[in-house]
Amino acid sequence: MTFDWSVIIDNWPRLLHGAGNTILLAVCTMALALPGGLLLAALRMTPWAPIRGFATAFVEFFRTTPVILQVYWVFYVLPVMTDIRLSAFGTGLAALTLNVSAFNSETFRAGLNSIRLGQRNAGLSLGMSDWQVLRLVILPQAVPRVLPALASTWVSLFKDTSLVSVIAIDELSYVGLQLRSQTFRVLEVLTAMAVLYWIMGYPQAKLVDWIHRRIKVAE
Amino acid sequence: MTVNAAPFVEITAVSKRFAAVEALSGVSLTVDRGEVVCLIGPSGSGKSTLLRSINGLEPIDSGKVIFDGIDVHGRGADIRKIRQRMGMVFQSFELFPHMTALANVMVGPEKVLRLPVAEAKSRADLLLAKVGLSDKADAHPAQLSGGQQQRVAIARALAMQPAVMLFDEPTSALDPETIGEVLNVMKRLADEGMTMIVVTHEMSFARRVADRIAVFDRGRIIEVGPPSQIFDHPTVQRTKEFLSHLGWDAAPIVHSE
Repeated sequence: MTFDWSVIIDNWPRLLHGAGNTILLAVCTMALALPGGLLLAALRMTPWAPIRGFATAFVEFFRTTPVILQVYWVFYVLPVMTDIRLSAFGTGLAALTLNVSAFNSETFRAGLNSIRLGQRNAGLSLGMSDWQVLRLVILPQAVPRVLPALASTWVSLFKDTSLVSVIAIDELSYVGLQLRSQTFRVLEVLTAMAVLYWIMGYPQAKLVDWIHRRIKVAE
Repeated sequence: MTVNAAPFVEITAVSKRFAAVEALSGVSLTVDRGEVVCLIGPSGSGKSTLLRSINGLEPIDSGKVIFDGIDVHGRGADIRKIRQRMGMVFQSFELFPHMTALANVMVGPEKVLRLPVAEAKSRADLLLAKVGLSDKADAHPAQLSGGQQQRVAIARALAMQPAVMLFDEPTSALDPETIGEVLNVMKRLADEGMTMIVVTHEMSFARRVADRIAVFDRGRIIEVGPPSQIFDHPTVQRTKEFLSHLGWDAAPIVHSE
């Protein structure tokens, strides 16, 4: 068995381009899924039961079905049902954003609910508005508590971006799998992909560990 | 009748139901300016619910709470303005844990009253001195004892310069050795003429400091009167039973200062 790494060296720009798209997709998804999650969390806490029910059903659907199915669904079914036609990248972004928003909303909800009612009452009894209570009392306590969970979601998201390769978005997995079928250098290509994912993912995982430690110390 | 002659806080036939439980059934009580009224009675008898309804934290099903001529639960009431004039102290302190003691006391004047920061700070400094905690200004709540936290919480409420102070079992979560320091601060406030409504299980405090005591039982006020009446000559059998249950007539508890 001999390894021929020239295939990796020759196609290095393509792999780098793929890795860049992986990062771009993850960053864009999280940038949309943070406000998306907040919105869903807010909808789930409104006094209006139908809105609450809709938001709950939405969240539960995206939390309990496979991401890859969601990607396929947005790619094949959504255009037929709604006439919305997205680019491949847009489709992947939409599917991942819906999924991560659902997870983020649960994180936000747990964070907000973890601040006991007495804190809110204390703020209100000083004459604060609901908005002031949220901004001055609840969020400063809730945000540090949800950071570790958000960071874990981020690491999962980063790896889950590989799933959108099934709809031909040229992120790292798609580029790698293409390269594999074009060159038949299966071992080299898969190894290079693994190394690239690891190089990108390891610092993130360490960062998450650090955040977890920091929050624990602060509490 | 002039406004000043009317009771400062006038509670009329307030009722409140939680699912199957009638928490308050037609409770009426008046509190005059400068008066200290203690609410006593068994747990779950409605004292705290009534207290929270006075500043609108607890919605009521029927009845009225009039504070200084304003219907607290009325449609047009500016509840934030009303709350700014009513300080509240909670059983579990509810200091804001992410702020220092000083910041806790400053936040009301600075963010709600919109005073300049320097003015809010000097007000907070004075109040921390008043409750004997100037040296703890930069400490976070987690670094303070329960008694110290509750004194900061009192300072925080006073920073709004309220016309009434509402105390919801302020010493129930405290270690016995720190109860006295909190009660002393409260007694001094009463001596200065602050109008106070105090839910408490501290019978010796109620006896020494209250002008009047209202005894609660199962969502009703069963007896109201000066401490001498309630403790020495209660007119209602349930009052007697409640007090003897606490061991009051057997062995009066006196807190050393």
